[in-house]
Amino acid sequence: MGRSLYKYTIVLLLSILILGISCQCVEDSSGKVLKIGTPSVVKSASILGDSSMGVFAHLSNPTLTKMASDGKVVGLTAKSYEVSEDGKTWKFLINDDLYWSDGQKLTPDDVRFTFNYLAENYPPAGWIKNTVDNISVEGNAVVFKLNKPYSRLNLEFATYPILAQHIWEKVEKPMEYTNEGENVGFGPFFIAKTDLGAGVIYFQKNPYWKGTSPKFDSLEIHTFSNMDVLSLALEKGDVDAYYKYAGTYPYASMQKLKDTGNFDFVEKDNIGLMLLGMNLQKEPLSDKSFREAASYAINYSEILKLDALGYGQIPNAGFVPPSMMAFKETAKLEYNLTKAKSILESAGYKDSNGNGIIEGKDGKDIKLTILTRTDYQRATELIQEYLKLLGIDSELKNVDSSTWIKQKDAGEYDLTITRSTPWGMLMHANWGTGYFDSRRTGEGVLHVLDDPVFLKLCDDILAATSDDQLGNYAYELQDYYAENLPAIALYWNKVETPTNRAWQGWYSDPLYGIFNVDNFLSVEKKQ
Amino acid sequence: MGCILGKRCTPLPDSLKGVYDMSLTAERWSRYIIAIVIIFSLNFVIPRAMPGDPLTNLLGEDVVLTDSSVTKLRSEMGLDRPLSQQYLDYWRSILHLDLGHSFHLHSPVSEIIYSRMKWTLLLALPSLLIGGVLGTYLGALAGWRGRSNSQKMQTALFLTIYCTPPYFLCLLALYLLSFKLALFPLKGFYATGSAADIAHHLFLPILVMTLFSMSRNYMIMRGSVLSEKSSLYAAYARAKGLYDDEILFRHVFKNSLLPIITLLAMDFGFILSGALFVEIVFSMNGMGNLIYDALLSRDYPVLQGSFLIITLMVVSANLLADLLYSRLDPRVRWR
Repeated sequence: MGRSLYKYTIVLLLSILILGISCQCVEDSSGKVLKIGTPSVVKSASILGDSSMGVFAHLSNPTLTKMASDGKVVGLTAKSYEVSEDGKTWKFLINDDLYWSDGQKLTPDDVRFTFNYLAENYPPAGWIKNTVDNISVEGNAVVFKLNKPYSRLNLEFATYPILAQHIWEKVEKPMEYTNEGENVGFGPFFIAKTDLGAGVIYFQKNPYWKGTSPKFDSLEIHTFSNMDVLSLALEKGDVDAYYKYAGTYPYASMQKLKDTGNFDFVEKDNIGLMLLGMNLQKEPLSDKSFREAASYAINYSEILKLDALGYGQIPNAGFVPPSMMAFKETAKLEYNLTKAKSILESAGYKDSNGNGIIEGKDGKDIKLTILTRTDYQRATELIQEYLKLLGIDSELKNVDSSTWIKQKDAGEYDLTITRSTPWGMLMHANWGTGYFDSRRTGEGVLHVLDDPVFLKLCDDILAATSDDQLGNYAYELQDYYAENLPAIALYWNKVETPTNRAWQGWYSDPLYGIFNVDNFLSVEKKQ
Repeated sequence: MGCILGKRCTPLPDSLKGVYDMSLTAERWSRYIIAIVIIFSLNFVIPRAMPGDPLTNLLGEDVVLTDSSVTKLRSEMGLDRPLSQQYLDYWRSILHLDLGHSFHLHSPVSEIIYSRMKWTLLLALPSLLIGGVLGTYLGALAGWRGRSNSQKMQTALFLTIYCTPPYFLCLLALYLLSFKLALFPLKGFYATGSAADIAHHLFLPILVMTLFSMSRNYMIMRGSVLSEKSSLYAAYARAKGLYDDEILFRHVFKNSLLPIITLLAMDFGFILSGALFVEIVFSMNGMGNLIYDALLSRDYPVLQGSFLIITLMVVSANLLADLLYSRLDPRVRWR
């Protein structure tokens, strides 16, 4: 009986294997298919309700504007745009050769509908209601009349997908609207199917696209819940490139791909960065001298080497990375433990009882709480070590994302290690202000800075009416960061995107990396 | 039946026996019902006792909101109501067989669970069955004929698998069979959706899960048979002149099966959430991933719905195990 069981098992295994392999051979599809692998798993086929799906949908439903490689905002669905001198009237001239994938023409009414609809039904776009008085159509243009100058309207419009009025006007709750089938889009490709079981989003060419013709037939986004397996899929050739919004390919895995000789890396300076956030509402971090001492206690070159394997550079005190528009060269952050100790001593922080731990102004030993998430464990441990060398005791609270947000909002920390994303750096009044302004809230933001000088700077930036004004405020802001250190940049890193050499012509933009319309019109398979 | 150990029992008259059995059955059923009520209540309390807020992860990491937007969202999600009100609504929904609407997946929870559960069952049920049958059978043989070299090697192999961390074994199998030998795909439940394609995608994860289940059942059954082997009834059967296989499968096997039934019942109860490692490694959108994501994002309706299904499965599995126990072991009485 035992032997027959073994035999039957072996026969069963072999037959399934043969069946599978023959099935794999039949799967070979026709046409040029570009396959991109991503660890950003799509959990629901909702382009407004799922943040990963929202990024991918930019190819089928492009935004009104886009960020060019030099950081300037230019038209995408809009051919061009202009703003009145008082900064209160914005006019976007819409491209007149755009068609939805069901054959209908994209009209300025679609654009007007989109922003009215999002203002009413999409919480992240709730600001539109408070800022825009009226949206009207004038010929082929859409005109936004604002109740106050808002310098970054063009930038905001680089993130919202334009929606087809004839489809979306029937949708009452856009964030709950899921569609695993065809999503009508007007980009060079549209979403033909979102297959959550297979973990693939299928894009097909828009048959009514009149612009530059894409050089491949279809695009597939393959989602992986395990980064190691995604690396294997790249190496094996199952996917041609890697993509993660606001993220780089793991530096530690790059050499393995390089060794295959089949990969190039699209390298881009990240707008986002790793930062040491501080609770400015609590002592001792509310003390500028203490923050300054902490900034001298960090060994930046070591943290860059150990946490980012050298793929980046030591940041400036001005926080804002050079990849952002209107970057100002402020003082480079420096590791100088002696200076850090001397600043602390001058500010009245001393180790009077000789136990190796510095006392606060209340005479008690300082013990800081460092709140962190598993993703930033290495950097956090290094920071803890640097503080120890400075004579500051600390405890680590390593929590999951939801707990981090809760405790961060409740102010239950002194220091936190986190990162900013490209859009995060651009949101609110730009240049990272969204992370600090105490009048705002959000998942990743610290909202701990209520200094009137800073708040006024934010308001001035928002109300700026010219590029010159904006530039000047940006410089002032970076000086403010350098002088007051509301947060310390730990390193400015690079975003590395591996692409298979069988494909060429990759273009990465500062905001969404390789996931932009221009890139997919430029990429082609080598002959 | 109402007697104290060591004392002789007086049988109950037939008229009272029926009444006693009925009260025993009612007592057991009421125990299950109370357990269900308590667990359902815990399913409501535990997600809310976790730190964090369901609103997190809903809009993306880099979204700035005003306080009024947050308040509006909270109200739409029903999170601004008192907990007691939410608790009553929760029970009302359960009684109406309504599992609610997911905060993060934007669909009715029952639809989400159905779409994920069918795949997880397809993945886990064959492993449970094949692993249960093969592990028990081979474990019984190993316990009975443990001295041969082939049995020793087999035991060493299963012990190695049993001791290997599941995540590592999944990655190892994937690396060797999918990456190096290119025999299987790296991810997903399917690519095209045909039956052969699904079988091809599921083969490797099922194989890994089966090996785990099999090795554990093998080790338990082997140990159980080894202890039964030295019992007097086995020696008596041998003395009666029964063949080895007859002693094993007619007498020893049945008595050795009790711990396996407990394990299989537990496996069945946790079949939906037990495949988490496999689902993560093979990028499968199954129940394990669903529960894991819901935990991270504090998606209360999905957690409640999933826990509710798991509760029902665990209780049913226990009920089934109780019934099987009473069939196999007359010392355990149950009606």
